[in-house]
Amino acid sequence: MNRANEGPVPGRKRHGRGWNEAGEKSESHQREEILELLWTMREKGPVSVEEFLQMTEEEEADHILRKMERDEWISLKEGQVAFLEEGERRAEEIIRRHRLAERLLSEVFELEEKYMEPSACQFEHILNPQVLDSVCTFLGHPPTCPHGKPIPRGPCCARFKREMEPLVRPLADLKLGEEGRIVFITPRSRIRLERLSSLGLIPGSVVRLAQKRPAFVLEIGETTLALDEDIGREVYVKKNK
Amino acid sequence: MDKCCEKKSAAPEVIPRVALIGNPNVGKSVIFGWLTGQYVAVSNYPGTAVEVAQGNSKVGGRRRVIVDTPGINNLIPMSEDERVTRDILLDDEDLKVIQVCDAKNLRRGLMITLQLAEMEKPVVLVLNMADEAKERGITIDRHGLAQLLEIPVLSTIATRRKGLDGLGKVLEESCTPQVRPIYSPEIEEGVTAIENLLPEKQKGKRALALMLLAGDESLQDWLHCRLSEQVILKIEEISRRLQSQHQEPLGFFINQKRLNAVDRILEGVFRKEKRSRGMGARALSNLTTHPIGGVPILLAVLYAMYKWVGDFGAGIGVDFLLNVVFGKAINPAVTWVVEYLFPWQFLQEFFVGPYGLVTMGLTYAIAIVLPIVGTFFFAFGLLEDSGYLPRLAVMVNRVFRVMGLSGKAVLPMVLGLGCDTMATLTTRVLETKKERILVTLLLALGVPCSAQIGVMVGMFAGLSMKAIVLWAFVVMGSMIFVGLLASKLIPGEKADFIMEIPPLRIPTLANIFIKTLARLEWFLKEAVPLFLLGTFFLFALDRLGLLKALQNMAAPIVVGFLGLPAKASQALLLGFLRRDYGAAGLFVMAKAGELDSIQIVVSLVTITLFVPCVANFFMIIKERGLGQALAMAGFIFPFALIVGGGLNFLLRFLGVNL
Ligand SMILES: [Zn+2]
Ligand SMILES: [Zn+2]
Repeated sequence: MNRANEGPVPGRKRHGRGWNEAGEKSESHQREEILELLWTMREKGPVSVEEFLQMTEEEEADHILRKMERDEWISLKEGQVAFLEEGERRAEEIIRRHRLAERLLSEVFELEEKYMEPSACQFEHILNPQVLDSVCTFLGHPPTCPHGKPIPRGPCCARFKREMEPLVRPLADLKLGEEGRIVFITPRSRIRLERLSSLGLIPGSVVRLAQKRPAFVLEIGETTLALDEDIGREVYVKKNK
Repeated sequence: MDKCCEKKSAAPEVIPRVALIGNPNVGKSVIFGWLTGQYVAVSNYPGTAVEVAQGNSKVGGRRRVIVDTPGINNLIPMSEDERVTRDILLDDEDLKVIQVCDAKNLRRGLMITLQLAEMEKPVVLVLNMADEAKERGITIDRHGLAQLLEIPVLSTIATRRKGLDGLGKVLEESCTPQVRPIYSPEIEEGVTAIENLLPEKQKGKRALALMLLAGDESLQDWLHCRLSEQVILKIEEISRRLQSQHQEPLGFFINQKRLNAVDRILEGVFRKEKRSRGMGARALSNLTTHPIGGVPILLAVLYAMYKWVGDFGAGIGVDFLLNVVFGKAINPAVTWVVEYLFPWQFLQEFFVGPYGLVTMGLTYAIAIVLPIVGTFFFAFGLLEDSGYLPRLAVMVNRVFRVMGLSGKAVLPMVLGLGCDTMATLTTRVLETKKERILVTLLLALGVPCSAQIGVMVGMFAGLSMKAIVLWAFVVMGSMIFVGLLASKLIPGEKADFIMEIPPLRIPTLANIFIKTLARLEWFLKEAVPLFLLGTFFLFALDRLGLLKALQNMAAPIVVGFLGLPAKASQALLLGFLRRDYGAAGLFVMAKAGELDSIQIVVSLVTITLFVPCVANFFMIIKERGLGQALAMAGFIFPFALIVGGGLNFLLRFLGVNL
């Protein structure tokens, strides 16, 4: 897994909405790219303007930053970039779109990493809010992208509606004897996650649900594990056909 | 300087040490037995091999010390067991390793191999249970694996001594496995940074750096002995910074990467035909944990155990030892010797009086408790080795949940039916402190030990089924009530229930015999002195005239509140010291027709809820400290009296006929 793949890569041609006929990006598109990069950089720590300008590949980034400051999306005090309310909201949305797109591409189309990233970058500018929530629901409201980074929660995640059969769902939803591949685990505690992984329960492992009551019984290869029901509910799988 | 910092004094003659390392239940102990000619507990229940066994071996013509370590799944310790094993590996730099791996579960085995490689240990990999793997359609390219890892790889069936012969020779060729999973660039950077901060000559820096990154708190002592405060802070800073860049815990991320690396190795050497697990065995295995089907099996197992321990152990065994061995031989002989040696009555009574060390303490421990406990340990060994215990844990998990416990607590609870004192000791296998306190409390409160059950069975004989059910109902109800309450009051997280279920196996009788003997040896060493001490207490109370005085003080409660005859206060008072002494006293009264059926049930409930015995109380002090022990006793005795009194009142008030 290469975390450097996250975010824009220098020299990559972009396509999709937001390009005018001359092949130039619209300003709103550029703003989205900038917000996205700011967000990912902020996940690692405070972002200085200087650092940001080194990382970005947007032309006139400097200029757009200032415009965004004037619109009160961000603040640029003391050489540091910080989100204001509006910027935060917009950035969160674009990140959510990007990372959900990544999930969609890796789970549904099982795309390899190198194909996934460019497509996700296109998707993020296309998805509208309604489609986005449907995608989120379809994927079982994943908490992280395939790189393990958090996906900001959307309105659908709180409601947990089940209007369509989700592709990725809690282990508890499998029928007895069915197999599934673990997609992600959302444990309450660090220790629990580490213990599960020492026993071979990690994303990618194939499990067979042997029993739900009185406790969950799972088979992973030749290992049989018994778990509490609430732990079983924290494991999300994609059903094997 | 701290004690831990002293270099272990280099012994003049250095005998090379070899550690057996592996996941739980892979047959390490059997191989240990083969290497050393000694036996240690082989068991299916995670956590039973907490104690580390050592032995000398001359296999392959060289003298070596073999260390059998507790089973592990990871060298970043998550339990006491894993910590012990990790520390053994860390402490001895020249230690060689025989890694035992369940051939059918190579994936989890290699997970450890990778970590041994990072620790730079010379390793021989033993793929054990080759027969079971073959049965399931698994083929492993042993030579391919050996080439990939560049270490010797053996294929064995340890229980049948197959394939072990080469072990001695191959041990000479052991070397560090040549696999190094690459983690992410960020992690690698952190690892290098930490490696540079570690002591220069330290071996296996990479492994240590990864453990530290994963936030392994159990390494704190080790660090403080070797590095300055400043350096430790630096390391912590690196690990904190990296963690803040990751959404997932680093330990999990590292495990995940390791498993990915293992999967890549497996691709080339591990093949599995699509063949379902043995249908018969699988069906039975599933049935044992089935929510409905599992219940009759559970009941059958408990009934068979009761028959074996109750009828054979407590009946025939106790009769023989008590009436023949002690009654006709030992006690008369000792009495004769003591009376001959000591002309003073005080000393005579000290040894052979009504509260004498021999006539009461020793007779009690050897003639009554030993046969019951012995037959129980044998049955328990069968349960363990057949793989049924973890299944039992699954069955009772729900009920235990209510009491704030996980199904794992079933091990000490079932063991408590044999001897509460020993069971209190085994609460160590539980993961959280909260669980250990809860189980200790519940054991003391409501789990009757086999000796007590033996006596009570005699009293039940004269009662209706209704009375027995009522007794069981009140005792279990009290346990659930107290468990529920205590789990709310005692701080701490509820314990996770994550347990591996080993396949069902047919146990080897020889193994069970040896294991039972080992446990009996423990019992004789640890429990008998406490029995003697308890007897001495009674003797002292009696001599000082306190026994009578206490009895008189207790009479109002016994007569007024519990509705029992005044004479019963003596039995209950003894029940403070050993609840089966108390039960025995009641038994005598019931036989003589001095108790009606309500009185029998009330007195049995009260005495069952008492703290089992002085020995148990001492063990609680030893494991949990005086404060907690006193708090528990301070709760249990009044609680037992209140429940008994309440039951008496209720039954009389409702005019129940038992
Ligand atoms: Zn991503
Ligand atoms: Zn959602």
